[in-house]
Amino acid sequence: MSIVPSAKSTGALYWPVQARRNIGVRSLFLVVLAFLIAYGVLFPGLFAASGFAKFTQSWFPLALVAMAQAILMLTGGISLAIGATVSLGAVIAATTMAGPFGVAGGAAAVALTGLGIGAATGFIVVKLRLPAIVVTLAGSFIIGGAALLILPRPGGAIPAWLSDLLAGDTPAAFVLLVVIVLLWKLYLATPLGLSLYAAGENPVGAYRSGVPVDAARVAAYAISGLLSTGAGLFVAAQTGSGDPVIGTAFTLNSIAAAVLGGIGFLGGQGTMRGALAGSLLLSLMISVMFFLGFTPVAQYVAQGLIIIGAVAIPQFRKV
Amino acid sequence: MTAWNDSAGGKRASAILKSRPFLTLAIVAAVWIVASFVSRGFGAYGHLRYLVELGAVIGLVAAGQTFVVIAGGIDLSVAAIVTVSAISLPLLSWQADPTGLVSILAVLVLTTIIGVINGLGVALLRVHPMIMTLAMATFLQGLLIIIAGGSAVTAENPLVHWLGNARPAGIPAGIILWIATSAVVLTVMHATPFGARIFAMGANPLAASLSGVPMTSTTLAVYGISGFTAGLAGVLVLGMNGQGYVGIGDPYLLASIAAVVLGGTSILGGLGTYAGTIPGAILLVTITALITVVNASPGWRSILFGSLILGLLLLSGREQARR
Repeated sequence: MSIVPSAKSTGALYWPVQARRNIGVRSLFLVVLAFLIAYGVLFPGLFAASGFAKFTQSWFPLALVAMAQAILMLTGGISLAIGATVSLGAVIAATTMAGPFGVAGGAAAVALTGLGIGAATGFIVVKLRLPAIVVTLAGSFIIGGAALLILPRPGGAIPAWLSDLLAGDTPAAFVLLVVIVLLWKLYLATPLGLSLYAAGENPVGAYRSGVPVDAARVAAYAISGLLSTGAGLFVAAQTGSGDPVIGTAFTLNSIAAAVLGGIGFLGGQGTMRGALAGSLLLSLMISVMFFLGFTPVAQYVAQGLIIIGAVAIPQFRKV
Repeated sequence: MTAWNDSAGGKRASAILKSRPFLTLAIVAAVWIVASFVSRGFGAYGHLRYLVELGAVIGLVAAGQTFVVIAGGIDLSVAAIVTVSAISLPLLSWQADPTGLVSILAVLVLTTIIGVINGLGVALLRVHPMIMTLAMATFLQGLLIIIAGGSAVTAENPLVHWLGNARPAGIPAGIILWIATSAVVLTVMHATPFGARIFAMGANPLAASLSGVPMTSTTLAVYGISGFTAGLAGVLVLGMNGQGYVGIGDPYLLASIAAVVLGGTSILGGLGTYAGTIPGAILLVTITALITVVNASPGWRSILFGSLILGLLLLSGREQARR
């Protein structure tokens, strides 16, 4: 008898809480929608199956690295090694998947590498108390160097069927993204996931309340590494081969996407849906500028201006 | 966080902090001594002088970076500003300017303005420094390709050539420039009200603002200084190289941040000194030179560089315990 109303009341609480968390990103969603419409007008093929597949595929790796960066920023960390980790994931995928262990072995190697690198970075940052920004800066050299050792120049191969599955005319990328978002929701319901926001917003208070702060932060780094090498695997599947420097641009773009999405640098502020919307906005921006015939150079200039504008305008409204 | 933890053990902590520059200097000396035993020619006066000359460029970029980091920010646009300086200098040359001094001043004004724009974004638009300077770097990168078109430009500027190649009294002009800049930077940082305000701002912005520190103008000044020193470094690197090209400044972003942190300045702001950044810069070029001596593949070189920085961080860059 008493169980039913309480379940009802938590259900009734859930949506208002989610709605309140949306307030900060509502305007962002509107901007994203506007860009989506502009994109749909410029490129009507978006609503066909293959157009949709291509669009989600160009967004997918950016969405993954934005999540990888956002999960760190939520705990008060940051990584400047995301680009290098993406490259490492790509070269590992390209060198192992065509080998004796096959796609499953290659995917396992990519996942384990990501988890391992992330956990090691997290351990150094959290347990040895070194500033994350400098550790990951140094880490980017080590990880990038490892990628160069594995594959000194672009090469390797991804089995054609995997490339077709992930980057062909299938909505596989979109389905994967939905699965990852669902997994993220599940993770937030675990003890470590619950600790994530607490560890970022008020580490001392959380620690004194018995929250496993250090474990939550190390786990965040490990997940971040996994997402980054996963993005690398996908990029390798897209291009059909590995390239030791292919991920470089993802470091800056991941930070830009997360910040556009309303993730704060101090930890504990922001939502993953915001980061995803931020990455979608960035990806749309690049596509729309491409269709409007901007040269790559003008894209740099416009991207710099838009990022500052998008980050600054919400700040104005708050004042 | 560190600010109020300090008050209890303040004296002891500050004594340790004061020794940080000496610690970094001791590491440099140790590395030099060991390396000159291992590798012939490493310890030769000419080679060490060359290392310090290379360190001057990093040291100049890191001077502005030290100001920004102590004030609680970070400047990720320094590499792009170095490139702007090295590329726009040859373009800003006039016939009526035989010594080249005017065009150098014009470039320094330009890069200072770029820095001040960074400051405006941080102080007035309240964009996070990392995003503001990152976006500025992206913006400048596009602008540079439009201006220079991807080709290298040669400097015909006599003063720039002198800076990069002359050796009055056997000391390279670049090192003299660095020493002069260091003297000014250390004086401003530790012996003026402006310097005190920067430390206050980095340690606790709210308290600093309530105590009457003019936050906006101080922020503008700090990023302006960073633009200025990065511009100066660009002039020097152009003189040493003879040519400017897109990407010439790229190595100096990571190097400047690493030099600041290896020198014991807290990346969280409010703590540190340029006196530590100076040996930090020399340490970085020494590491790079050592790795070149080892003659490994690019991958191993990169791994060695990262591991050495990480190892050195363990010695000198640790943040204080949270609880």
